Amino acid sequence: MNFAKVLERRQQQWIELEKLCDSLELSGKDKRNGAAGISRFASLYRAACADLALADSYQLPPATVTYLHRLVARAHNRLYRASRIDPTTWAETVFKVAPHQIFSDPCVRVATLLFFGLFFLSALIGVNEDWFPDYVQKLVGEQQISQLEQMYEQPINGSLDHYVGMAGFYIMHNTGIGLQCFAFGVLIIPCVFELAFNAVTLGAMFGYMAREDSVGGDNFLHFVTAHGPFELTAIALAGAAGLRFGIGLFHTGGLTRATSLRLAARRAVPIMAASACLFFLAAFTEGFISPSPLPYLIKAGWAIFSAGLISFYFIVLGFPQHSERHQADDETMHYDPLADPDERSTHAT
Amino acid sequence: MTNASPLDTTIEVITPENIAFEYQLAGPFRRLPAYLIDVAARWTIIFLVGLTLLFVGLLTDIGSLSSFLLATMLVFYFIISWFYGTFFETHFNGRTIGKWACGLRVICVDGRPIDGTRAVVRNLVRIADIAPFAALSQFAEDAPPVFLIPTGMIGFISVICTRRMQRLGDIAAGTMVVIDEKSWRLPVTKVDDPRVPALASYIPGDYRISRSMARTLAVYCERRAYLTPSRRREIAMHLTTPLIERFEFRPDVDPDLLMVALYHATFLSDSRSEPVAMGPLASASPLLRDAKKLTVQATIASSTESLMNDASNSARAAGVASSEMPVDLLQPVILSEPLEAKES
Repeated sequence: MNFAKVLERRQQQWIELEKLCDSLELSGKDKRNGAAGISRFASLYRAACADLALADSYQLPPATVTYLHRLVARAHNRLYRASRIDPTTWAETVFKVAPHQIFSDPCVRVATLLFFGLFFLSALIGVNEDWFPDYVQKLVGEQQISQLEQMYEQPINGSLDHYVGMAGFYIMHNTGIGLQCFAFGVLIIPCVFELAFNAVTLGAMFGYMAREDSVGGDNFLHFVTAHGPFELTAIALAGAAGLRFGIGLFHTGGLTRATSLRLAARRAVPIMAASACLFFLAAFTEGFISPSPLPYLIKAGWAIFSAGLISFYFIVLGFPQHSERHQADDETMHYDPLADPDERSTHAT
Repeated sequence: MTNASPLDTTIEVITPENIAFEYQLAGPFRRLPAYLIDVAARWTIIFLVGLTLLFVGLLTDIGSLSSFLLATMLVFYFIISWFYGTFFETHFNGRTIGKWACGLRVICVDGRPIDGTRAVVRNLVRIADIAPFAALSQFAEDAPPVFLIPTGMIGFISVICTRRMQRLGDIAAGTMVVIDEKSWRLPVTKVDDPRVPALASYIPGDYRISRSMARTLAVYCERRAYLTPSRRREIAMHLTTPLIERFEFRPDVDPDLLMVALYHATFLSDSRSEPVAMGPLASASPLLRDAKKLTVQATIASSTESLMNDASNSARAAGVASSEMPVDLLQPVILSEPLEAKES
């Protein structure tokens, strides 16, 4: 076998394929040759694949084989492109997949119980000045408390300027914290800590402000009523998403650890998306409704409405229907320890 | 293949075309510059947009517009800092600006392209990968800003401990980062020395070069350019000493020359039966039984000096023998002299 002659014959096509790879890099469209260029690319790619497959029987030297590996890998990446994010599929995720998953997920229950349990416990302790006199001061700090009192001393009367800026800030800050909570879920402890810390601190503040003799307590309650349901649920859900994610690390259910973590992340994403949506809604409420001089009745009405909305979303949309539950089981069952042979083998050895 | 896989940073991927090819994985020190470039790019984008919004705000100067611009800026900052990677990886086929500059690409572990959910997961979890900074500032609220520098130890440990060099975000998303550079120039090793085909023609026809032998020859010929002649001889000797005995060659045949001749016979000659244009080398046989005949010829040649001059002149005219290598054509010694490395 004269390999130099084989190379001479094949090299033309390989070089052409490389050039096409370059021109397809950005858009996946060949601007000069159009459809003809694409089909030419496909056939050249298949030819290169065949060359690589036959490299062993041709007895090509290793350097040429390495070259072919690179060429095929490059062309493969051009041919099989990443699918862009398609916003039309979001509706399905948000209104169908997410509520079902959230409703049936034990992690959500645990996180919600943990968050609201600690929140109310902390509020109860905070409000009881006689039994636990220094609780809030020790937990939150004197400086924070005086800041808080200062903020709500004046009755609420924000202008539109103020609202919009604040809405933007809340989106950035609070949603960021939620996403962080999710991301740290992979390490579990920071996520649980964040969740519990928020619950205890918020609870203590609520409790302190709800005391009979607190400064600006009425204004505080006036302020937090409207966005409370959205915000608190969002925090709990972010913690739940993180927990779901982290649980995958040790509750593997017979899968390899990496596969289990991957599946857990997949399941956590809709929860996180729902949480982010709630953070956005909370931020707009917090920016526009809460600081406005609207009467308390409207704000309370909005709070009840938002609580109803959340209940509808998670309970009515999320209530498991029989057929869908089976489908969901299938989706999790078919996953690919089979398609991932080396992962399976490392597990076996 | 179940043989012991080499200790290498390649990972095999089986495509729908039913062939298996290898990707080269990107290690932490290739990914760090890409990440730093991405951070710089992110801040540049934020800075430029902020500057534009500031100018718009200053130029128009309409009452409540500035707060809208501020809100836009904050939301934009939020989106860029969390979803920069997601956007670029899904739109540019697994590449961000930094990855593009460093010739990297992120793909699924099974070789398919990355999809939206995976891109979201791996980019959100980055904050945990660069961790110890955020964890510190969580425990100490008024920590000095030096703690804002991410150490990235969690991601680093994860990258060096996993076989696919994945950080936690990669494990969670089922992705890996591979090197996707332009393929380098196709290397072809050729040796232009007239003694090579000549010696190759003396290799017995019944000697079949096995597959592993062919691979060894190819690796040797690709690498020999980096070795000194004595080192080449030392390496080649292990293989050629039994072969010289088997072929009944003279024991002083240069081992390196014999390796290259075997390479030539395996990869570069069309068929064994084809007669090789031996030219002036025809009389220089490596065979042991010809050694005596050659010495006789040599004495004849030295007596007729004009003949030898003619022979070497004709060889130069034909461009066979390279000028920097003066070969004493009719001396039996030539086959034991080392080759000049000549690659094309």
